[in-house]
Amino acid sequence: MTAVPFLPKNAPFTAEEINLLNQLVQKSTPLQRSWLSGFLAGLDAAQGQSSAGAAIAPAAQARPRQPLTILYGSESGNSESLALKTKKLAAKQNFDAKVVDMADADLATIAKSKNLIVYIATWGEGDPPQRAVDFHKALMSDDAPRFDGVRFAVLALGDTAYVNFCQTGKQIDARLEALGATRVADREDLDLDFQKAAAAWTDKALEVLAPADTAPNTVVHVDFKGAPAADEDDEPRFTAENPIEAEISALINLNGTGSTRETWHAEFAVDDPGFVYKPGDAIGLYPENDPELAGDLLKAVGLESDAALKQKLVHSFDITTLSRPLVDGYAKLTGRKDVAKLLEDGELARFSADRQLVDLFESFPEKLSADQFVKLLRPLPGRLYSVASSLKAHPGEAHLLVGAVRWTSHGRTRKGVTSTYLADRCKTGGKARVYIKPNRHFGLPADGDRPIIMIGAGTGVAPYRGFIEERAENGDKGKSWLFFGERNFSYDFLYQLEWQDHLASGALSRIDVAFSRDQPEKIYVQTRLWERREELLKWLDEGAHIYVCGDEKGMAKDVDTTLAKILAETAKGDEEAGRAKLKELTKAGRYQRDVY
Amino acid sequence: MTDKRSKNEFLKEESHFLRGTIADGLSHVETGAIADDDTQLIKFHGSYMQDDRDVRGERAKKKLEKAFSFMIRLRLPGGLVSPDQWLKLDDIAGTYANGSLRLTTRATFQYHGVIKSNLRRTMQAINGACLDTIAACGDVNRNVMCVGNPFVSPVHAAAGDLARKISDHLLPKTSAYHEIWLEGEKVADMTRPAVPDTEPLYGVHYLPRKFKVVIAVPPHNDGDVFAHDLGFIAITDAKGALVGWNVSVGGGMGMTHGETDTFPRTGDVMGFCTPEQAVDVAEKVMLVQRDWGNRELRKNARLKYTIERFGIEKFRAEVESRLGYKLGEARPFKFTSMGDPIGWYQGPDKKWHLGLFIENGRIKDTPDHHLRTAIREIAEAGGVTFSITGNQNVIICNVSAKQKTKIEQILKANGIAIATSSGMRRNSISCVALPTCALALAESERFLPELITALEDSLDKAGLRDDDIVIRMTGCPNGCGRPYMAEIGFVGRAPGLYNLYLGAAFDGTRLNKLYAQDVGKARIVELLDPLLARYAKERNEGERFGDFVIRAGVVKPTLGGNSFHSDVTLA
Repeated sequence: MTAVPFLPKNAPFTAEEINLLNQLVQKSTPLQRSWLSGFLAGLDAAQGQSSAGAAIAPAAQARPRQPLTILYGSESGNSESLALKTKKLAAKQNFDAKVVDMADADLATIAKSKNLIVYIATWGEGDPPQRAVDFHKALMSDDAPRFDGVRFAVLALGDTAYVNFCQTGKQIDARLEALGATRVADREDLDLDFQKAAAAWTDKALEVLAPADTAPNTVVHVDFKGAPAADEDDEPRFTAENPIEAEISALINLNGTGSTRETWHAEFAVDDPGFVYKPGDAIGLYPENDPELAGDLLKAVGLESDAALKQKLVHSFDITTLSRPLVDGYAKLTGRKDVAKLLEDGELARFSADRQLVDLFESFPEKLSADQFVKLLRPLPGRLYSVASSLKAHPGEAHLLVGAVRWTSHGRTRKGVTSTYLADRCKTGGKARVYIKPNRHFGLPADGDRPIIMIGAGTGVAPYRGFIEERAENGDKGKSWLFFGERNFSYDFLYQLEWQDHLASGALSRIDVAFSRDQPEKIYVQTRLWERREELLKWLDEGAHIYVCGDEKGMAKDVDTTLAKILAETAKGDEEAGRAKLKELTKAGRYQRDVY
Repeated sequence: MTDKRSKNEFLKEESHFLRGTIADGLSHVETGAIADDDTQLIKFHGSYMQDDRDVRGERAKKKLEKAFSFMIRLRLPGGLVSPDQWLKLDDIAGTYANGSLRLTTRATFQYHGVIKSNLRRTMQAINGACLDTIAACGDVNRNVMCVGNPFVSPVHAAAGDLARKISDHLLPKTSAYHEIWLEGEKVADMTRPAVPDTEPLYGVHYLPRKFKVVIAVPPHNDGDVFAHDLGFIAITDAKGALVGWNVSVGGGMGMTHGETDTFPRTGDVMGFCTPEQAVDVAEKVMLVQRDWGNRELRKNARLKYTIERFGIEKFRAEVESRLGYKLGEARPFKFTSMGDPIGWYQGPDKKWHLGLFIENGRIKDTPDHHLRTAIREIAEAGGVTFSITGNQNVIICNVSAKQKTKIEQILKANGIAIATSSGMRRNSISCVALPTCALALAESERFLPELITALEDSLDKAGLRDDDIVIRMTGCPNGCGRPYMAEIGFVGRAPGLYNLYLGAAFDGTRLNKLYAQDVGKARIVELLDPLLARYAKERNEGERFGDFVIRAGVVKPTLGGNSFHSDVTLA
């Protein structure tokens, strides 16, 4: 017998709702209906309510659960991944936890949290992550709501390479207290190697915040309130803590002879089905240090004869970053007043400008023991690059596009650690350690029919190669438009032949290019955006997603401003109106940036 | 019956008066190239698509297409440039081209390395100097060359005037050039005809092949008059006043290696015309070639082959029938040299003129010699006129005594010596060849200077350093550097290898003859060193090297183009 599912007219809904539900239920499969009934039961259980009509009994016993808001502000995804992990952990400990991205957070709602854990990154010179700027501003403003009765703990992430280490975390921690919240665990400020310490801190914080009864919760919990910001189960197998060895199967400087650039295309082959990424994700690459620089350092501290130590420096330690903790440690170790003086107001910022570790040891030389020396150093971090390939197009491979960084300062030739490791010392056929860093905020629309507008300069074009390859493999029908900028057409048109092929096949619908040094006036991608604004707006009307990837100061900021101006035209308003439109697009996931 | 006309004939016919899809090609920003067919059409606009052959090998590996760029050649009939124009042309070289100006063997300027996105801007900048590039290449009447210094006599001035008149008269009338390059908007293409164009002289097919006109004033044959399709040779009366022009037809350089039915040819002097008739004669000669030239085989399409096929008498009769009058009988004249006078000399009005030797016509700054800067500074000082020669040199004309000192200072300050090179170097010409020319089989511009340096040792040993000896090199047999008219000629065969030709006349009246095949630098020096030594010892009074090698039996004389490949005895 096949009964047509139908809600009676006297069901406790409005006529319109009944209509909608009927439409849904009529089309549903038995499995879907069965799932839905469990869902609704679970929902009530989770909210601690009993089913009013008693038509369906709850599937399991409800228990009182401790509410917990896990708030994060993330730039590279570290805070986000901590927040998501904590949520899983908290669920097991009978928390009713929700994860909120500062990008989506409503300050007033957050202020009503009972328990609040904050994971907050600091970006660049002491700034909040870009997507957290608005929240941060609101929190710091005089109009911020009181946080009375909120129990909180802040974990700050940062990079000691920057003078204002964990600045944003410090600010938020202090601000929450000032607004009346109660700190239940001390803030910790963590450097790039944060994982272990963060896990310990989280355990501690959850313990303090835990409800009295922490018996394992057997109810299938459905998070209903705060929709998760992203899929929680996509923690990659190969992480910074667990990299995999890859073979370098190709390594090419893409810039033609005559170029002022040096941009390397590197292909890494990984023989493991667990190596999974999607276009838009980042790939981490563990470098090795320049042996010559390691030698100079050892010489400066009188350890030049220690070959084993040199090997350790090359492979395991950060030997370039001149950080405050390091200077502090060196001052304490040596008792040098001149080094201690660097820690006074503004001194370190002045000294460390365009200087590195070696300058410290050469300027304030002391003989150290191997042990003393190594204790000053932090581990050598991996470096993240937006992946330039689609796994579907290149199974078992990840391609990176890496600009070699070289400059001279204070009489010394400087080299970007990872980029010149790749450019100068890696060879095709050699090995390197890589890992995956998902980027939940930069990726193709799920809908393959959506138009996409990709804006990138220099190595910022990398993810778009992956995007277009992915769409070509999928057979997606959505239009695509690439804006690419570099210095010279003849030498710097990264992946030119591939774009030509994609245009010919239709995988790429349009391309506009901006080469800044081919003519007397500078032409940048934003110049082209402005020229094409009418068509651009048409594409947006058609639901296009906009992507920006590349250097923030050099490009992304100006692109952002130009987009705001273009949108202002349609909004018939000023740039502010345009910015508001951009924000709407951001909220809708249609304006995504991967900038550095 | 199948239409056997060459592919280019169809291209021209369907191009809607040279438009093709050039404008559309310019809008394709993903490539530095234009469509294949358009590469033929753009020549008529004065440009060749090229690519940097030095880097061809690496490009695909780097995921880059060939390093395409464009050569742009100016139309400069008569070869004169004002200081203001020079400054503008110099700006263009720095802004859009490869930082150099290249003087051609046909007395005009070329730019190299202009990328597609800058083509329009460059054309507009050239237009801003009141110059253009129309018909500087392609199957049309090319730049009309009249060389020498127009300020030294009224006859020279008349020669310049004639060059400009012929150029204007034979200029294509299509509006495609303006539309594509100067307006840059509302461009019609072949599917979207705009204003109907007509080409009263050319028709939709233009000429079968290029057509080159030169004007010469004896005794200098500095324009190589017999190397061109059509030449006018000034004839003067006893007082030196112009009475008319001898008309030479059927000269031309290009040939193909290994195809003996292709050959360079010296023109035949077929008659004499009055000054008033000259433009008309130019037109009718071109029209007979338009109608009689071979349109099936481009290798056989130049006027020289038409005349070989029909004979000079029949050709002359056809020209005369179209003119409606007979040409006069050719008058006597005498050429003495092909080279340019280098250094300072005074004209009849006591103004100074400086023949400035420009090696291979390449005007650029090197660390030690700031040639481009020097000429720029001379132009900035103003008050002179620049005359470009067919030997790739510059004459700075009409210099006052005061300016002379200033110019000398400028040259010295920039490391430019006026007359220190050897007689051989002063009389050298090379084409551009690698890395930009698609046709080059071997180096030319980048190799000839070092070859001459090597030969200068032989010259010094023989005591010939100051003797004028004409030496020319081209990277391929098409002969832009007119190597077949050189006493010592080189034609590229393969990287590092050349055919060596000897025995052309110093006055440009006789072709040379193949002497050695596929020789490299060391072998060249080995072959020429003893010949130069013998020449120094055994020459007659005033005997030129090109004549000596014939008298000495080193090579047989080439008495006409059709015997260029005969009587060859290789060394």
